[in-house]
Amino acid sequence: MAKPLEGIRVLDATVWFQGPVCAQYLADMGAEVIHVERPVTGDQARGVRSIAAVPVADWNQYFLAVNRNKKSIAVDLKKDEGRDLMHKLVEKSDVFLWNQGLESLAGLGLDYETLSAINPKLIYATNSGYGTAGTVSKPSFDMTVQALTGIMARLGEPGEPPIYLGLGAGDAYGGLMGALGILLALYHRDRTGRGQAIDASLYGAQLFLAAPTLQPYLATGDEIYGLQQSRSKTRNPLWNRYRAEDTWFALCAENSEDAWRALLACVASPSLGEDPRFESAVGRRENNEALVAELDALFATRTAGDWVGALEAAGFSAALIETYRGVAEDEHAWANTYFSQVQCDELGEEVAIRGVPVGLGRSPGSVETLGPELGQDTELLLFDVLGLDWDRIGELKELGVIP
Amino acid sequence: MSQALEGIVVVDLSREYWASLAAALLGDFGARVIRVEDLSTPARDPGRDGVYPVDAVDSEARLIHRNKESVALALASEAGCDLLGQLVSCADVLLTDASPENRKGWGIADEDLLARRPELVYAVGSLAGPLGPESSQPPLDELAAARSGVMYSLPEPGQPPVNAGAGQMYTSVMLALGIVTALHHRHETGEGQRVDASLLGGHMYASTLTLDAYMAMREDRLAEPKARFDAANPMSGISYPSQDGRWVTLTMPDTDRWWPAFSKIVGLAEDDERFDTHEKRCGDSRLAMMEALEGIFATRPAADWRADFDEQNLSADIIERYDYPAKDPNARDNRYVIELEDPELGKIKSLGFPIHMSETPAQLHRPAPAVGEDSEAVLKTLLGLTAEEVVDLRGKGAVGISDRVS
Repeated sequence: MAKPLEGIRVLDATVWFQGPVCAQYLADMGAEVIHVERPVTGDQARGVRSIAAVPVADWNQYFLAVNRNKKSIAVDLKKDEGRDLMHKLVEKSDVFLWNQGLESLAGLGLDYETLSAINPKLIYATNSGYGTAGTVSKPSFDMTVQALTGIMARLGEPGEPPIYLGLGAGDAYGGLMGALGILLALYHRDRTGRGQAIDASLYGAQLFLAAPTLQPYLATGDEIYGLQQSRSKTRNPLWNRYRAEDTWFALCAENSEDAWRALLACVASPSLGEDPRFESAVGRRENNEALVAELDALFATRTAGDWVGALEAAGFSAALIETYRGVAEDEHAWANTYFSQVQCDELGEEVAIRGVPVGLGRSPGSVETLGPELGQDTELLLFDVLGLDWDRIGELKELGVIP
Repeated sequence: MSQALEGIVVVDLSREYWASLAAALLGDFGARVIRVEDLSTPARDPGRDGVYPVDAVDSEARLIHRNKESVALALASEAGCDLLGQLVSCADVLLTDASPENRKGWGIADEDLLARRPELVYAVGSLAGPLGPESSQPPLDELAAARSGVMYSLPEPGQPPVNAGAGQMYTSVMLALGIVTALHHRHETGEGQRVDASLLGGHMYASTLTLDAYMAMREDRLAEPKARFDAANPMSGISYPSQDGRWVTLTMPDTDRWWPAFSKIVGLAEDDERFDTHEKRCGDSRLAMMEALEGIFATRPAADWRADFDEQNLSADIIERYDYPAKDPNARDNRYVIELEDPELGKIKSLGFPIHMSETPAQLHRPAPAVGEDSEAVLKTLLGLTAEEVVDLRGKGAVGISDRVS
């Protein structure tokens, strides 16, 4: 089956994670994605092991999983000949993607005016830190930008440290927004023949990520949406996380008469059913701390698996709060290709990585290869795409433009 | 063509926050989104989870239903389902989070519709994807968060699991992204298709780096909650409380690059033998350095630290609350936060648009409609019904019409 983005060529001049994961979606869906890297060191993500930024296996899963399905070209963009090669590639590409700071683009001859003059159909995409309209140019890593949005400050129990949403949780959202912007621009180009510039910044994406609580804060100015909330003070004790004998589970039930009766039947606690404080929805809301304490004590008597089974059998929505070990074995995750097996040359065996997140019935994406070696496709791309001959390629090597 | 999705008609038959938001994103970029509200099912209560007292102001609808028209149909009635079928036959995209059973009952099963109209893009949001064991669980964010491993891993050790809510936000964008990808494919081939995104997939996407690390190593420590001082690098991925209780946070993974300027502002000697190499900072001296920084950051208020961070252009900042983006001129200049005139509340702030497009920018065409606000207009103009037919359908209870004057 043909993939939906076959025939689309992407120059992915990005580093670390936000930009690379944006281009990952395009590559999964069949675009020819060329990761443009500096010679010698390449994308900094190749060096994560030594800088203790993320846990790394005996193969560099950070770089190799994120940059799967891509080619790599190594070229020194600071040399005139390197810039010339990029301009020639731009002429023959559909998308240019950048996430290395907007201020350096003009000096490299990679600004929108220059590239769109070379190729008016180009989709010129950036994953900036703070947007293109303002003047903010400070460094933009995932966690420091997440800190600014306010989302970290509202998570966790009151008095506990703020909670980071997880390694790269905001970066990947910026990447996904970038991919949506590129697809929108591509569809516009399909119908008009015209390219344009798009930007999805890390800050803008992470503000949107906070929408369920940031939107009500913006609309009402009520500080409560930005403050830590205790699970023992929830206004609906029937929709909460509870710790069973062994581990935690989530229960999601509305605070209704029917749900309360069904819960009483399920937990088989006559004393709870006779307690006048909990008779009505209002009572359960107003006596929330007492009810959470009662339920904590009750649920602590059996395992989470037992409770989830009993609650589901009684028609409740409930789920075991799993570790990553649980999701690694989740049948739905495998059946729907949220995981993929792919050959790892370093290990000489297949490894499992996160797979294709969006399902398409007729033209699905897939994971074919792990990330490329630095510059592995340089010569072939110059030969095939730009029509350079071997003499010229040799000269470029001698000049240090390509490795 | 002033917007990327101009001319595309989307029927939005969604119930959950994240699925409705996916349709709003399409509307922001120019699609005509017709939201179908089912009068036969009680509306979703946005305060059902009890976390916030949202019953006072239903502010979420202002985001997730903006740029939509609203048609209210009783889908328990044959006439209601018939109208739904007629609406879908005018649509380029159907977006829904309804269960397979409901979709079949309403006469819009995907296999039937796609057989009849192969050019349709039929997008489904679900709890865990269309394939795999049967499940009757509804598509609730918490259920997927629980299954994904992320909820368990986020808090400090010993603290209750935390749902940050990121997974559903990922799923919204994934669903919109799949739809636009399918529209591009349709432009190339004439073929529509089924599109799927799920909350489980969204939560997995949100934890890509941790999940890939776990899959590569399969070590339990990677799945367990981490204490603050478990960080591998005292200068990266870590937060410290300042004097006024506000926290500062640092992300300077390649510490050699930042150490000269950083050591100066925290008052450590650049050549301090304990900390003078990256290997020491992330190795033998890791804990000693964290303890030293914990003491140092507690001596000055957060704003003072920020002034120094900014002056040295360090990758470090304050952990802010929501008042920061609400007042941030950069959020306003980039239209991430906008001001709008709300029919009920007057001038309010709202989230704007996370994607900038130079030629086809996102636009706010209209605020969220009242339920059924556009029933009459849509049935007349799109389906060609007469005024009498609309009155008749309304009398039978198949169609609802809002009284709100906007």
